Amino acid sequence: MAKLFDVQAVFSHLSEILAYLPVTLELAVISMLIAVILGLILAVIKINHVPVLTAAVNVFVSVIRGTPIIVQLYITYFGIPMVLKYISTRNGTEFQSGNVPGIFCAIVALSVNESAYIAEIFRGALQSVGTGQIEAANALGMTYFQALRRIILPETLTVALPGLGNSFIGLIKGTSLAFTCAVVEITAQGKIIGGRTYRYFEVYVSLALIYWVVTIVVEQLVKLLERKNEIPENAALVTERVCEAKPGQRI
Amino acid sequence: MIEITNLKKKFRDNIVLDGINMKIQKGDVVGIIGPSGTGKSTLLRCINQLEQPEQGKIQMDGKEIDLSRKNKKEILELRKNTGMVFQKFNLFEKKTALENVMEGLLVVQKKSREDAKKAAQEQLERVGMAAWANHYPRHLSGGQQQRVAIARALAMKPSLLLLDEPTSALDPELVGEVLETIKKVAEEGFTMLLVSHEMNFIRHVSNRVIFLDGGKIVEDGTPRQVFEHPVNQRTVEFFTKMNLMNQPEYVI
Repeated sequence: MAKLFDVQAVFSHLSEILAYLPVTLELAVISMLIAVILGLILAVIKINHVPVLTAAVNVFVSVIRGTPIIVQLYITYFGIPMVLKYISTRNGTEFQSGNVPGIFCAIVALSVNESAYIAEIFRGALQSVGTGQIEAANALGMTYFQALRRIILPETLTVALPGLGNSFIGLIKGTSLAFTCAVVEITAQGKIIGGRTYRYFEVYVSLALIYWVVTIVVEQLVKLLERKNEIPENAALVTERVCEAKPGQRI
Repeated sequence: MIEITNLKKKFRDNIVLDGINMKIQKGDVVGIIGPSGTGKSTLLRCINQLEQPEQGKIQMDGKEIDLSRKNKKEILELRKNTGMVFQKFNLFEKKTALENVMEGLLVVQKKSREDAKKAAQEQLERVGMAAWANHYPRHLSGGQQQRVAIARALAMKPSLLLLDEPTSALDPELVGEVLETIKKVAEEGFTMLLVSHEMNFIRHVSNRVIFLDGGKIVEDGTPRQVFEHPVNQRTVEFFTKMNLMNQPEYVI
């Protein structure tokens, strides 16, 4: 009888699975970028109580947070071609709606899903910026968007960074559901290998290892970003910069 | 000349400013005093529309602006011509002292980086903070932060400088350096509206003193007139109380 658990099988298919890691990362990174921009817009609408739009954002966030991501993936996968077909027939064009790539649908679903959570992270972070600094920016004659870009956002990012890192890690793992949109990424590839070799368990273990390592790398990157974004603790270090800039200057 | 007409502001039922009219000559340093909650700060904040009054107009550099209306373009123009120094400094925390002063020059006045840097360094020198240019606000004392905030306001070359209790959040030890800076600025001929509880300072630095009570100007004149010969009963009471506090605890 064959071995119950084949340790070797965990590692022997690693390179086959890792060949699809770029797909996983592509899904995660592109979705994250879109989600951050979308989430920020949603949050700005919400904290400024823009009439009508705020209500729409509230409904959007509620729907997205209230439905499972796998359902959202199915809805976009079947929905986007339907919408395109409708537009195409209305305008009398011959668009092949069946040709929409699955990865496009997956990115739409993942980024829309993540944006709802990121909007809440940004909302909290935006509200944490002291009104004093915003008033100071206004008093200088800055418009809201100038103040947002120059003063509010840099501080918002500092506060939001840990939450965004957390979201990104969640998103990486969320990409494992992209096979519902016929996208072959590492999890889908693992299933394929499992189906071929019947070593499902071993393949899943190696998948777990890959996700874990990727997550550790991301965690470290976020930590690095956080440290870079901090105000230098040591005032003396800053003073040294003055010395370098202007030798002989009295400190 | 700057003219404010019929400025009215209320928070719900609480009338804070009840029809303020005043004319400010160029180069005037106007000290605004009065009991707490009489709208001294609100008056300043209405002038650059950080607070929107129900009614009121301001005429400045020959242009009249209705403060009660939200006209973004006019308000931005007004804010570009007024500088504000806050009670709690309100420096941009993620920017160094130099970057704080440069910010308005870069973003609002659209100056080049070098020009802005040069101008900002000049302003920091003016308030005696040049050596701290690369320090972040959290590494500066309250007095130092306020001096940087003054430099930030001055860098914009405003026609009117509004100072909202610039020393009341400071340790007694640090008040001196800030007052010294303000005095220097006043002597350079800036038009200023100064709200403060430092009576002696107001008396020395300003050439006109306004006493606000219940949202109205009840006393308006030279420091000598207002401090030594107040005509209004409320003003007399206020100074009497102040003087009582200044008396020695024991007299032998």
